[in-house]
Amino acid sequence: MASSLTEKPQSSNNFLLGIIFFFLACATVALFFIPAYIIQPFKYESARGLIVAMALKQYSPWLTLVTSGAALIISMMLWRKISVWKKSLLVLGMILTCTAAVMARVDYFEWMFHPVAAPGFNSIAKTSLDDPEMVMAVKFNGDARAYPIREMAYHHIVNDVVGGVPIAVTY
Amino acid sequence: MRDEETGTWWQQITGKAIFGPMKGQQLEPVLSDEMIYATWKLEAPNGQVLAPVTKDSKEYESDWEPHVAKLPVVISFPGTPLQSRDVVIGMEMNGASRAYPLDSIVSEAVVQDHLGGTPILLVVGPDGKSVRAFVSRARSADIELFRNTSGQWGLTDSSTASQWNFQGCAISGPMRGECLQELSALKDYWFDWRNYHAGTTIYKR
Repeated sequence: MASSLTEKPQSSNNFLLGIIFFFLACATVALFFIPAYIIQPFKYESARGLIVAMALKQYSPWLTLVTSGAALIISMMLWRKISVWKKSLLVLGMILTCTAAVMARVDYFEWMFHPVAAPGFNSIAKTSLDDPEMVMAVKFNGDARAYPIREMAYHHIVNDVVGGVPIAVTY
Repeated sequence: MRDEETGTWWQQITGKAIFGPMKGQQLEPVLSDEMIYATWKLEAPNGQVLAPVTKDSKEYESDWEPHVAKLPVVISFPGTPLQSRDVVIGMEMNGASRAYPLDSIVSEAVVQDHLGGTPILLVVGPDGKSVRAFVSRARSADIELFRNTSGQWGLTDSSTASQWNFQGCAISGPMRGECLQELSALKDYWFDWRNYHAGTTIYKR
């Protein structure tokens, strides 16, 4: 009699904690996944969708820290009281939660780009570029620069100072 | 585009900060040309050329345009006379914007037009591919230019018959020494230009 009195609230308590853990894990994954889903290359982004994605992206580094921290505390509270298969569910949940929390801090949008870290320049004599190639060209205070499109189409962005003017060349 | 200093996101085509600490700021656009290397070399013999990045140079491609032309577009404007991936030269003047289909510019070689109340000139260079745009006004008067019908490549203005080069400068005749003001001309796909310029018109001869 005495044992059933103490055991019953314990197991319903565990159930409640499990539910909370589930929602925290889902929230953390959603905080990473929703902006990643909305902002995809070659996919239409509505103005409203973009506002949602930007807001989530802005707050997700903090929010995922809170949700994943809370999920970790709950899983520690539950750990000694649950069966092995429930433990493995917790571990799986924590792996997803931690991955999402890390991804919320990463500029994964930029993984496919290869910017020029330190642009170098050559004189025309030392440049081997075919005559019919296209270039982007600027001239400031007598300094002329050409950025071959075949390089720009790969790197997309180059930071430069031409004739004292700081410019970002983009393609 | 993202800047390293503040992490702000900048919209490439407009230079506007759209997300982050610098939101609302605007980069100042600068005049640039998209032209054939051989033509640029003649104009800027002391110029400097961006060096290839050694580790990436085998990834560079010169014939990527046909591939990109086949990529899906994320937004389209059915009912307009141009196809999404038609290449246009986009021009803006005093709030007015117009798309000049590249094919028509190349076949006409010289286009005289008015945009936002300003006389403008689009010229295809001696290489048949580079395009520049100018305000066709010299010494406070509107002028009209035509391609020379014979001899060396050049432009002649109808009022003084001076000779002009592809840089927009008069090299002989009464206007010698004058240079036309060059204008920004953005080479872009129609769907992209139209997306950022809802009120754009399309040039027709």
